[in-house]
Amino acid sequence: MIIKKFTYALLCLCILFTIPVDALAQNTILTGKVTDENANPLENVSVVIKGTNMGTITDANGSYRLSAIKPSGNIIVFSFVGFSDKEITQAQGNVINVQLEKSSQSLDAVVVVGYGTQKRKDITGSVVSIDKQRLENLPNSNFAQALEGALPGVSVNTNGGGAEGSSVGILVRGRKSVLASTAPLIILDGIPYNGSISDINPSDIASIDILKDASAAAIYGSRAANGVILLTTKRGTSGKPVISYDGFAGVQEISNLPPVLQGEDFYNFKVQREGIGAVTLSERAIYNSKNFANWLDLATRKGFKQQHTLSARGGSTNFKYYASLSFLDVKGVAVNDKYQRYSSRINLEANLTPWLTYGTNTQLSYNDRSGLPATFDGLYGAYTFNPLTTPFDSLGNPTIYPWPEDKFFANPLAPTLAKSIDNTYKVFTTNYLQIKVPFVSGLSYRLNTGMDYQGRNINTYYGRNTRSGSQNNGTLSQTNSIVRNYTLENILNYDRTFNKHTFGLTALYGYEYRNTTSNTLSAEGFPSDILTFYQANVAAFAVPRTSFEKETLISQMARLNYNYDSRYLLTLTARRDGYSGFGDNHKFGFFPVIAVGWNITNENFFSQNKIIDNLKLRLSYGSVGNQAITPYQTLARLSTRSYVEGNQTAAGYIPTTLDNPDLRWETSTQGNIGIDFSILKNKIFGTIDYYDVKTHDLLLTRKISPVQGIPEVTQNIGKTTNHGFELGVNSVNLKTKDFTWTTNANFTINRNKWADVYGDGKDDTLSRYFIGYPIGSDFGYVFNGIYQLNDDTVNTPQGKVSPGFAKIRDLNGDGIINQYDRTIYSTGQPDFTWGLGNTFRYKNINLYVFVHGVQGRTDPNSLMSDNNVGDGVRNTTIVKNWWTPTNPTNDFYANVKSATKGLPVSFVQNSSFVRVKDILLSYDFSGRFLESSKLSRMKVYLEARNPFTFTKWTGLDPEFTSQSVIPLQKEFVVGLNISF
Amino acid sequence: MKILNKLILAFLTTLMFAACSKDRLKEETPSVLTADLLFQNRDGFELALNGLHDEVRRYRSGQPFNNSPTSTNFIMNMQAVAGVDNVFGNYRDGLMDVFNLYGTFNNPSVPHYRHVFTWLYETINAANTLIGRSTNADINWTETEKNRILGEARCIRAWCYRHLTNLWGDVPLTLTESSGTNIRTDWERTPIAEVRKAMEEDLLFASQNLPDASSSDIRLIKGAAQHYLAELYLAMGQYDKAKIEATKVISNTAYKLVTARYGINRNNAGTPFGDMFIEGNSKRSQGNTEALWVIQNEQLVIGGEANNIMRRMWVNRYWSIIVGGKNPIQISAENGGRGIGRLSPTRHALSLFAANDERGSAFLWRYYYILRDGGFIPSGNNNRTGTPYKLGDTLFLDNTGIEKLNNPNWPSTRKWDYASPVDVLIDPQYSDQVLLRTAESYLVLAEANFRLGDLAGAAVAINALRSRAKATPVTASQITIDFILDERSRELFSEEDRRYVLVRTNKLVDRVKLYNKISANTITLRDTLLPIPQDVIDANLTSRMRQNPGY
Repeated sequence: MIIKKFTYALLCLCILFTIPVDALAQNTILTGKVTDENANPLENVSVVIKGTNMGTITDANGSYRLSAIKPSGNIIVFSFVGFSDKEITQAQGNVINVQLEKSSQSLDAVVVVGYGTQKRKDITGSVVSIDKQRLENLPNSNFAQALEGALPGVSVNTNGGGAEGSSVGILVRGRKSVLASTAPLIILDGIPYNGSISDINPSDIASIDILKDASAAAIYGSRAANGVILLTTKRGTSGKPVISYDGFAGVQEISNLPPVLQGEDFYNFKVQREGIGAVTLSERAIYNSKNFANWLDLATRKGFKQQHTLSARGGSTNFKYYASLSFLDVKGVAVNDKYQRYSSRINLEANLTPWLTYGTNTQLSYNDRSGLPATFDGLYGAYTFNPLTTPFDSLGNPTIYPWPEDKFFANPLAPTLAKSIDNTYKVFTTNYLQIKVPFVSGLSYRLNTGMDYQGRNINTYYGRNTRSGSQNNGTLSQTNSIVRNYTLENILNYDRTFNKHTFGLTALYGYEYRNTTSNTLSAEGFPSDILTFYQANVAAFAVPRTSFEKETLISQMARLNYNYDSRYLLTLTARRDGYSGFGDNHKFGFFPVIAVGWNITNENFFSQNKIIDNLKLRLSYGSVGNQAITPYQTLARLSTRSYVEGNQTAAGYIPTTLDNPDLRWETSTQGNIGIDFSILKNKIFGTIDYYDVKTHDLLLTRKISPVQGIPEVTQNIGKTTNHGFELGVNSVNLKTKDFTWTTNANFTINRNKWADVYGDGKDDTLSRYFIGYPIGSDFGYVFNGIYQLNDDTVNTPQGKVSPGFAKIRDLNGDGIINQYDRTIYSTGQPDFTWGLGNTFRYKNINLYVFVHGVQGRTDPNSLMSDNNVGDGVRNTTIVKNWWTPTNPTNDFYANVKSATKGLPVSFVQNSSFVRVKDILLSYDFSGRFLESSKLSRMKVYLEARNPFTFTKWTGLDPEFTSQSVIPLQKEFVVGLNISF
Repeated sequence: MKILNKLILAFLTTLMFAACSKDRLKEETPSVLTADLLFQNRDGFELALNGLHDEVRRYRSGQPFNNSPTSTNFIMNMQAVAGVDNVFGNYRDGLMDVFNLYGTFNNPSVPHYRHVFTWLYETINAANTLIGRSTNADINWTETEKNRILGEARCIRAWCYRHLTNLWGDVPLTLTESSGTNIRTDWERTPIAEVRKAMEEDLLFASQNLPDASSSDIRLIKGAAQHYLAELYLAMGQYDKAKIEATKVISNTAYKLVTARYGINRNNAGTPFGDMFIEGNSKRSQGNTEALWVIQNEQLVIGGEANNIMRRMWVNRYWSIIVGGKNPIQISAENGGRGIGRLSPTRHALSLFAANDERGSAFLWRYYYILRDGGFIPSGNNNRTGTPYKLGDTLFLDNTGIEKLNNPNWPSTRKWDYASPVDVLIDPQYSDQVLLRTAESYLVLAEANFRLGDLAGAAVAINALRSRAKATPVTASQITIDFILDERSRELFSEEDRRYVLVRTNKLVDRVKLYNKISANTITLRDTLLPIPQDVIDANLTSRMRQNPGY
């Protein structure tokens, strides 16, 4: 009751505020408020008087006002992404309040489909949209974090930790390519986006829609094979300005570290392996003093993260704005790992005349990635750095050579001493003109332009307090790069309905241009460290370089959407892309797709069904491409190989690549069959899809005979296939007056394999390409336990061994271990992946728990090897269950140098995992508090990200590709959203 | 109305498709250099020649390794110098096992073989491109200029085939520029005689067209071409021709042996022989009259960096020697810079020098170190003096017994000593290095004379070197093929491509069994030729390429 009263009060307030503005208008003013099922105001809802061009969008309070020519009897259509459309006929009075029903995947939702929007029920392709809950209220640093595990067929692989959190790979329906990028095309406000995902402030994003199958993605032709992500930023609203603050702050902690051999244990390991003679004098001194270094401790810390966003939205019927300012600041769990983003956005739309609309969506961002984190990976890395070394000198500064006898080793903390500036400035602006062509009903023309300008400036200086700086009297590297993208698109739209026939025709002629210039300078030998970056003029040695690339894309596209009586749907799409980087013999690619849909529930014979509310069948088939080639790849190029005469450079060049006029795009032929359903009065709704993708003309680097002087060449030769099954379900499990429980679940199976490699049906063992197996399968010898004391160790397939040596499986049983005993021992392909979000709402309290899992996957654990310690045990390793005569295990071989007899042995582990990604507890203030505080909205929340992971994996993280990178962080965050 | 509609539609359609032209997709390549652009005039050919010289220089650089362009652990010429009678791999790491242990370690999948093979053919293709494009009539150059440039390119091409034939025997012979539209998968191994014939033509052309000497230290000179021609004739068994060509080199006054002290160190203690290996003395312009081919490196100059790692390979890990609880010998320029001791002399190589032979003196070999660092004086008594160790004491290396692995306490050659004046710890080396000198031509002449039965002539050639080194002259009766090989080791230790000489004289297996205890038990006749890299065989999809026997 309180809510209702409050709503009413608010509504009156709104009306009061808005009256003066339109007091002069002669038309009828309709007002009202749009809310969701829980009476929360919905902003950005499209409110249109049916059969007219008159419409508006609700403001942050859910309120709208709209002038109508007719005084009564208007039919008003409310539509909003993620909600079912609603049509209401004006009965009496001018106030129409509406409650929309949430239906993020439901059949009536409006979905952004590229070059326009469509109602979900009219779509023939496979399109998924992100649950808004994952976009708002979660402390995402970038939009990919919102996607992870949340959508069927979309996987986000976190490749490493770090403050920026941008080390992710997004895959739509699995990996299809090897050499070519596997990343989906990102379209931001209608324009291709080539920048870092970090540059987009996730709190500016209103919706994310992902085009998965050929039918949906075909409009992007040669770049659509990996799927398309459509990002739409928030729009202005008509009504009084709403000013909002969204902010959060929290701590980051390391999620997991592998058990690295430390201190005394490492010493014993070393002595046991190579004898006391391998221990150098300084190592012995540290061992005696017990003053061991724990490099992982030294290289990590507790992190901190905060973000603050201020935004304002508002406008009138003919002019709307959204503006935001945002600041993100992360101090990561690795020492000196920092990231800051400042961004602002202004989105404007103005109806200049009844037939002409102008709009702009403009984003400015500044990224500060200054500061280099401590080294984790490699021989200098904290994971394997010798603990018998000295991290700090007597003054407390990191040592130049932590191991005095072995000057090969730099201090893992050395990067933290480097002077570092890494700034990126970016302008991404899309501007459009929309013309309703007079006299032709339903015809409109849109001129879409995009400009993306990015400047990046990286300066790094290693002074004499580091190994490289000390050896060279300071080393400097500078990079200044400018990337420019221009897009120009002419789009014609023609939408008409004749009786039961509805046509939608879209035609495009587009031109894109991209050019990249990069100036780099590497210099060394400085008189002092005082001037750091600002002394290249006195460097003893400086190498400046300039690189330049230009690429042009010309595209034509036509799309026809036809539906008959909302029952039978047809989509025909064709795109022709010409790209400058393609070989001379193949400048243009053509990508046609056909798709049909059948809204079964709209058939008369189905109308009596009480269980099924909606049922639609979708079928699509066609081909899309992966552009995949960088400029100049088709040319025979020379490389610089300079010589020297005395102290004069003698510039030189030799041929290093072969020409390839046949180089072109990869083509994926994709078939999709899908069902959209909604049952039990929309309590359960979702989609089911099955797809089959065949990719040919796969770009591969083929090894050719080195006799040609150039040992490899890139060609369109390989073939892969993917097929898979996807299920996305939303359900309202329980709904009472005060309590609701809803679930959002997804389930994905993808099966990838090589269909052919070089066209001759043969594998490429060297490159690990195996026909019939997934891309990225692991190949090698199979570990088969340990030679025990009682085993015959003289006549084994591995020759003479000692007890404690690794047994390798003699696969072909010929009594000798050689290259023919290698096999594929792990594919890295999961049986299935899933995501499960549950939302519990009791009155104003909301609890959201999101769990993500990968099941049935194995991977070799790269940390399970002693070979990385090197000759002389120069590095440490992780703790293992080593074989000894008194510990006759089969887990791991003995601690001796040649326990595998020179053959690489991998240890395969189950890398399945279940990760609780988000636990979000929020409270919405309402009623008297809001009234008295003059706020329209206030919410506080607590969020735990990655708090729990369940896995049998013993490495750093089952999700990471590399096991020796900056570890994954857990986050505990408190946040606040307020609107005035 | 209808007409207006049509007009608008027509206008928009025109707008949309107006710019649709293939020309707009033509690549603009202001930043890309192609062969067509480079080989338009004489300057372009000179630039391509510089590229070839850089390729040659890589012979003593780290090999390409994984994804990094070069490795500082393994030198490109490893296979020519390691696992022979006078050199073994002291500090092993991967590749060293191949030459220390042969057997299964020496197999077609050794990545190093692929790197060497690829590098040589890359250089050959670069030379082929230059040579093939010189027929363009539009180039404005004199016949002399053209032939000098072609002479250098052809000499370098022959030099590449010299390595290929010596390492692998029959190898595919290609003399034309490679093209992406004609990728071959049916290469055949050309009989070695045919490859040698092509080499002979190249070297004959070079020896006719290269100048005796050049004011530039990077230009190839006639003596180098003549030397390799003489060596080629030895390999072909045409000893009279070998003698003629070698005699041309040694009788040319431009290529006089260094017999007196010269250069930047001449006022300090030293030997004429040793002067050639001191940085600042290697080049002809610096007084090294004996030099026929010198590779150039220069720190802090673009083009001067080639990741040369001779010092790393040959200087031992003296800095890890422990005496009296200390590492008394610290890394310094005086001690030769930071070596990692991958390659060390066998006992036999060390035992070849008579006491008066300057080539075996402490100016050329590291037999001892001086205690120079007060912070690292060993505790206890110096067992040579019986008194406590003190600053300035000499610490002698253990120069007895046979070669063994991981031994820092073992002499090493000083020919490649180097420490950067910027910092002693820098890995790469920036010294100029003699690749070929007249002394080797004397040894080729000696071998030719020996084969022709002229033992006295062989003794004369050898004594020219021995007298320069103050070693006792030899008589004709002392000359055997083993003596010539020993003399080569005395003169050219770590400089010559030892394996090629041993293979040519059919002595590889015998002498390794005799003189290299590390490899003695495992080397077999099979190891005379290396296995063709597996990648080369695998890439030959339409025709099976023959592997060398035994692999």
